[in-house]
Amino acid sequence: MLTFWLRRLAFTLLTLFIVSIAVFAVSELAPGNIARHSLGITITPDQEKSFNAQNGLDQPALARYLRWMIGSDWQAARLIGRPVTRLRDAATGRADWWEVGDAGAYYQHYSLDGETMLRVVREPDGSEHEAALGPDAWQPDATGVLTFWGVDRAGRAAMWVKGRNLAELTLTDAGWISVPGAPVRYLPLQLGLLRGDPGVSFLTRRPVIETLVSRLRNTALLAGLAFLFIMPLSLALGLLAGLNEGKPLDRLLSLFGLVTTATPEFVNGVFLILIFSTWLGWLPGAVVLSSDTAIFENPSMLALPILTLTLVELGYVMRITRASLVEVMRANYIRTAVLKGLPYWRVVVRHALRNALLAPITVIMLHINWLVGGIVIVESIFGYPGLGSFILQTALFKDVFGLEAATMVLVLLAVVTQLAADVLYTFLNPRIRYG
Amino acid sequence: MTARSDRQPPFHPGVYDAQAKLKQGRLSRREFLRLATLLGAGASAAYVLAACGVPAASPTASAAPIKRGGVIRVGTQVQAIDHPARYSLIGYDANITRAVHEYLTETDRNNITHPYLLESWAASDDLKTWTLKLRQGILWYQNGANTEELVADHIQFNFSEWLNPDTGSSIAALWTGFLTLANLEVQDKYTLVLHLDNPKLDVPESLFHYPAQIVHPSFDGDISTGQNASTGPMVLTEYKVGERARTVRRDGYWQNGSDGQPLPYIDEIVHIDLGNDQTAAVAALQGGQVDTIYSPTVDSYLALRNDPKIRVDAVGTAQSRVLRFRVDLEPWNNNDVRSAVKKIQNRQKILDQAYFGQGLLGHDVHVSPVHPEWAPLDVPEYDPDGARALLAAAGLPDLTFKISVGSGWTDVVAYAETLQQDAVAAGITIELDSMPVDSYWNIWTETPVGITPWTHRPLAVMLLPLAYIAGPDGKPVAWNESRWVDAEFSQLLLQAQGTLDIDARRALMEKLEVIQRDRGSIAVAWWQNFWDVWNPAFQNVQPHPTAYNLWREVWYDPDKQA
Repeated sequence: MLTFWLRRLAFTLLTLFIVSIAVFAVSELAPGNIARHSLGITITPDQEKSFNAQNGLDQPALARYLRWMIGSDWQAARLIGRPVTRLRDAATGRADWWEVGDAGAYYQHYSLDGETMLRVVREPDGSEHEAALGPDAWQPDATGVLTFWGVDRAGRAAMWVKGRNLAELTLTDAGWISVPGAPVRYLPLQLGLLRGDPGVSFLTRRPVIETLVSRLRNTALLAGLAFLFIMPLSLALGLLAGLNEGKPLDRLLSLFGLVTTATPEFVNGVFLILIFSTWLGWLPGAVVLSSDTAIFENPSMLALPILTLTLVELGYVMRITRASLVEVMRANYIRTAVLKGLPYWRVVVRHALRNALLAPITVIMLHINWLVGGIVIVESIFGYPGLGSFILQTALFKDVFGLEAATMVLVLLAVVTQLAADVLYTFLNPRIRYG
Repeated sequence: MTARSDRQPPFHPGVYDAQAKLKQGRLSRREFLRLATLLGAGASAAYVLAACGVPAASPTASAAPIKRGGVIRVGTQVQAIDHPARYSLIGYDANITRAVHEYLTETDRNNITHPYLLESWAASDDLKTWTLKLRQGILWYQNGANTEELVADHIQFNFSEWLNPDTGSSIAALWTGFLTLANLEVQDKYTLVLHLDNPKLDVPESLFHYPAQIVHPSFDGDISTGQNASTGPMVLTEYKVGERARTVRRDGYWQNGSDGQPLPYIDEIVHIDLGNDQTAAVAALQGGQVDTIYSPTVDSYLALRNDPKIRVDAVGTAQSRVLRFRVDLEPWNNNDVRSAVKKIQNRQKILDQAYFGQGLLGHDVHVSPVHPEWAPLDVPEYDPDGARALLAAAGLPDLTFKISVGSGWTDVVAYAETLQQDAVAAGITIELDSMPVDSYWNIWTETPVGITPWTHRPLAVMLLPLAYIAGPDGKPVAWNESRWVDAEFSQLLLQAQGTLDIDARRALMEKLEVIQRDRGSIAVAWWQNFWDVWNPAFQNVQPHPTAYNLWREVWYDPDKQA
């Protein structure tokens, strides 16, 4: 059993790794331009170049991938010669990177002319003051050029070169301005996914984790409720049809299942909106989240999305359950049990059901994943800000950090649900053993 | 409104000239009002002058007493924003901060411009010196308290942002060739003087260009933090990209409502992101979950126009879908090829199929019949044989090309599809390169042939310099997506921008229109109508042709709830 779990864990990590590479590669190859998306359609080539440099987008794909995976703070610490750390601003709640200096102080740097480095010192009590560094702050690099590595005012590790008075286009208090004395190289700082930091989204310009949490919560709510509603219903109807094979009830249920499965969700959804919202006026036709708690104040908003998902899923799971039960009911051991004189319901519940549920469980578990990440169309019809639409938006934006994080969540979910399915198998059929 | 100064400055001579023309019937009343206010006469004075000395009745206040309170819920999209000067969409960025950061002037729904944060403006006779006087006593509001007064230095800061090429603002193009920062003089605490290099008529209207929202010099570079000082009636308290943005009423706003208390009447505006597809927004409006939706599509209009629970208003615009060709690329550098493609537009059919007939026909010029300086042209005919002949002459008898199309704009798609069908008769093969709207905005200035949505602007002399001229460096301006620069056109346009007399300007515009029609880089098949769709409980809502949400005087009457 232990080997099974270990193997499963190794397999999970491998899957995550491969998917992360695949997503990175796809977003690399996909057309689009993050700088343009971020700064608007009117930017100049110079601004674009500057934006790419400042965000490390001009570095090779491998370097960017590694930075996303294992972070860059250790690399920056080596270049700077001091550890770097993230400090949170109490007022805005936003985090910023600083060097860890002497006596509990933190440092950031800038230069106005490329000759003198200025250090902003943040004392342990939060006060800040500035000091100019002497000429010995410059260190010769391998080729003898005098350079200085430090954390800049925007919280990136940066390299200045003495005597190089460059202009950097940067977003400051005064908007996009050219700053003389700009660094020549940048290393954006992040902790890396392995340490729980999926980076800052280009789409929202906020840490990915903030958006991901709220989107995941929305989706979990919709998918969870839909799951609780769909699965018992479809299993029960499937069993009912299976036990009444060939009878009118079976025909009716099968036909119903076929029709709902064959109708795509964008058709179902629009019909449901027209009937229940526009015409009858019973249920809200869209999910309008006017506040973070709106969904709990007015849960009826979720009724139509859940109903739409139900119509799509119901027939599918129902028909699999039915087919599986019909097959089991024809098995020899069932005939034996019946001939032995066991009561019919006892035969069904004790003997048929467990085996008949194996196939539907697999399907159901696969569909959890679909309910979380794949219901983009339903989310779009009802204007629901869920994980699916986040994935779509980040993909269109080429926001690789947002996309990676969301995909990792989905992969993790896929693996966990499969694991749950495996465990359920052993419960349903004790002959199944893992080892 | 606070009382405006009663001092009547001597009017610009052009105002008297225009008044004379109005009396002779050579100028419509609307054109006169526009012209007079453009030249600083002030709206009330303009009405008086328009009435030839008889004081016009002041606009009566609505009969019902105003009620306070209520929340406007808007179905829209909430996209990432940072600097207002870099806004490039009206609804998804500028409208959200519209009630927070204000403009120096305001153009109303009749395209008449009034002073706003300004108390008045005055132009010299040659239209080259403009004196802008700020209204006194407007207070910045930040972190829950009123701070300092708005002064001319703050406006200078905003100009420096707009004119700085590094800002990347579309405002810069409006002032290119007219104003440099060095020629902006802060005369005193409340007075700015613009010393322009060339005469410019539309200074007040340019100040209402949608990215020209005024920020404080302490602006932190990210408007979405809600931490920045602002002058507007509301403050931004929540901004979640892709989800919602919330603005709430502030205390001590500088304008009073009809009940003598500071505006606004409503407490809150919530902008709710309902995604790219307006189906959800329409369903939400019909179900009473939102009170209005931003910029309804023609499909939404058709779905809503007969709904008794919704109030629908229409207004004609200069908003269009512009089919444009990159003239720096083969084969579009050949005017015959461009002209041939223009000839395959069956305009009425396009309007019917793309927009259900809800608009005006276009003439392949970026001047709309709603513009005051519009010089009437004949609508070009559908002429596949002419197109074929032109292509044969150009040596491209089987022209095949791709049009980039944002698939989210159904009318753009229908336009392109209609073209595709009607092109066959001329031997032209058109392929549609469909992409999501976001992707289209990614390539809109780059794609060889594309259909770009252009928004309404109140004057043609404001639209044309955005996209059909070169900057001072000789390169096409930032939004010149077709790279088309024509020396004669640029010269005439500069002249038109400095021509006060509406007849003279129309004469120039006729030449400009003919040049653009005959050798320009664009095709305009139709002009869209714009609609406003509202929960009828909201009163005092005025649809604006540029879809600006100006809601400080909107109030909520729960008794009118359908």
